Amino acid sequence: MTIRSLWSDSSQSRTRRTRTVMIALVLLLVAALLVSLDTGYIRMSPVEVVRTFAGAGSTEDQLALYSFRLPRLFIAVLLGVGLAVSGCVLQGVSRNALADPGILGINAGAGLVVMLFTFLYPTNDAVPTWLLPCLACVGGGFAGWLTYALSYRHGGVSPVRLVLSGVAVAAGIDAAMIVLTVRLNPDRYQFVSEWLAGSILGSSWAFVLALLPWLLVLLPFVYSQAAVLNVLNLGEEMAAGLGIRVERARIRLLAGAVGLAAAAVAVGGAISFVGLIAPHLARRLVGSNHLALLPASALVGGLLVLVADTIGRTVLQPSEIPTGIVVAVVGAPYFLYLLAKSDS
Amino acid sequence: MDRLMARGVAIGYGGALIVRDLNLTIPTGKVTALVGPNGSGKSTVLKTLARILRPQAGEVILDGKAIHAQPTREVAKKLAILPQNPSAPEGLTVAELVAYGRFPHRRGLTLTPSDRRVITSVLELTGMDPFADRPVDALSGGQRQRAWIAMALAQETDILFLDEPTSFLDITYQLEILQLLRRLNRDHNRTIVMVVHDLNLASRYADHMVVLKSGRVVTEGAPQAVVCREVLRDVFGVEADIVADPRTGVPLCLPFDLAAGAGQASSHPAPSEGESLDVLEAAEGGVR
Repeated sequence: MTIRSLWSDSSQSRTRRTRTVMIALVLLLVAALLVSLDTGYIRMSPVEVVRTFAGAGSTEDQLALYSFRLPRLFIAVLLGVGLAVSGCVLQGVSRNALADPGILGINAGAGLVVMLFTFLYPTNDAVPTWLLPCLACVGGGFAGWLTYALSYRHGGVSPVRLVLSGVAVAAGIDAAMIVLTVRLNPDRYQFVSEWLAGSILGSSWAFVLALLPWLLVLLPFVYSQAAVLNVLNLGEEMAAGLGIRVERARIRLLAGAVGLAAAAVAVGGAISFVGLIAPHLARRLVGSNHLALLPASALVGGLLVLVADTIGRTVLQPSEIPTGIVVAVVGAPYFLYLLAKSDS
Repeated sequence: MDRLMARGVAIGYGGALIVRDLNLTIPTGKVTALVGPNGSGKSTVLKTLARILRPQAGEVILDGKAIHAQPTREVAKKLAILPQNPSAPEGLTVAELVAYGRFPHRRGLTLTPSDRRVITSVLELTGMDPFADRPVDALSGGQRQRAWIAMALAQETDILFLDEPTSFLDITYQLEILQLLRRLNRDHNRTIVMVVHDLNLASRYADHMVVLKSGRVVTEGAPQAVVCREVLRDVFGVEADIVADPRTGVPLCLPFDLAAGAGQASSHPAPSEGESLDVLEAAEGGVR
């Protein structure tokens, strides 16, 4: 199966355009990775990076590259991919351009459980890293279920109710988190507030390994549902007429989206707006067909978080701006712009 | 052999029944129009016949079996439904939209050569081939409706349901759509069931008319048998002259007054329970 035939739902010109966009995004991502590898607390020239990869770098360079920088870059990209695809699915399922794992309360739920856990186990080492995404998934799943249950009426869920309930659930959980942070000791408080601001905490391979399996399972699953997402996007009557069991399909897809967002949030902190912006930009580039939109969203999301993380690490050296803040600087105005546009 | 029928069907939302004991047989190979005043339940009946709504009692039978007992994807190969005012995602092209109509036939992620053949042929059939690469949301009303019909046709079903396919269209586009539907019926042997608001258009383009009022079938039959002064008075609450169309002989109605005592409140069905429920349903998304 060639790449061309994969996007063959589209017309020829759309197919060509989609391919060009995909290639451009991959190249951009590679370029961003190369730049990001060179920048940081220890500055390395591209030549030094290559030399270190070839095994001829100084011990210090090797340590910086293999133990800190590479895992961090991986995390940033994986995080962006997870959140972006999650947002793309949520937008497709709810037929709502403003849906995002943050808005539907999934991030908050995931965060609350992770935070409760750090509250109960005050030392970082006590919690095995792989457990974090699982815990977050429980929390995110619960928040997602609560949102869904609150918006369930007459055998179905309307997009508007879904978003309204999500906002309410997220607000409630955020309030609970604030109450909890007040009771934490100062350095725990520091940790939690950094997490809430969306700083990428896990910069070790253990975090990469904790996140990777989730993406390896959930991304192919979600992609296998691309045609279902397309049809759901036409409205539920249309989808039902085309032979989809609408409620089941929604739950299946929501579960996938919750898993992706929760795993990402557990590792990377509450980075908002990625799930909102990335699918939007991708839609502008490749259109609404999820066969192309899902991979394009993933690439845009990965790129977005990677660039934001690189900026956050460099502009205020030696201190860092949390990645979530950098994303929000772009994301918040974009969200407002979408809000203003959707009103008309 | 008629393939689709409703047997003792009751439909309602949250306790209130909109339709009770509906018995209806859709003549195979014909164009059937469901007509009736606002809130008469015609949309609800259409959706139930197309298994989008599940009846509270009775059953809809397709090819001898209860439609809700059949796998929905298999049903989607036999009947297609085009809801009222469907909306396409931003930027979706006509070709993409039509490809979505292949959903019930697809297995993998890719389109097969036969999928492509069907897409090409329905684009030609609906005259949408020059617009294949255009975004649906950039088309005129009539073109957009033809794009959606092309999508429904790509489903390759023998039975096609349409909920007010001509609403919000200029008279030119109304005729264009209805002539397309008639051609699909005559030349491609499709059974067509549609909700139509305009009685005269229904009379002109349907072989069989079903007149609904307050969720009941008042009368049904050929336009000549159905469109008459009594039906217009009793069902629609208007006095009308019926004249034969000089070209085709089908009955056309010329309403001239409200029927005696037929203010908005009395014989015209009370501020349409069905309609407010339809709105509710649209807002709440009452699909199984």
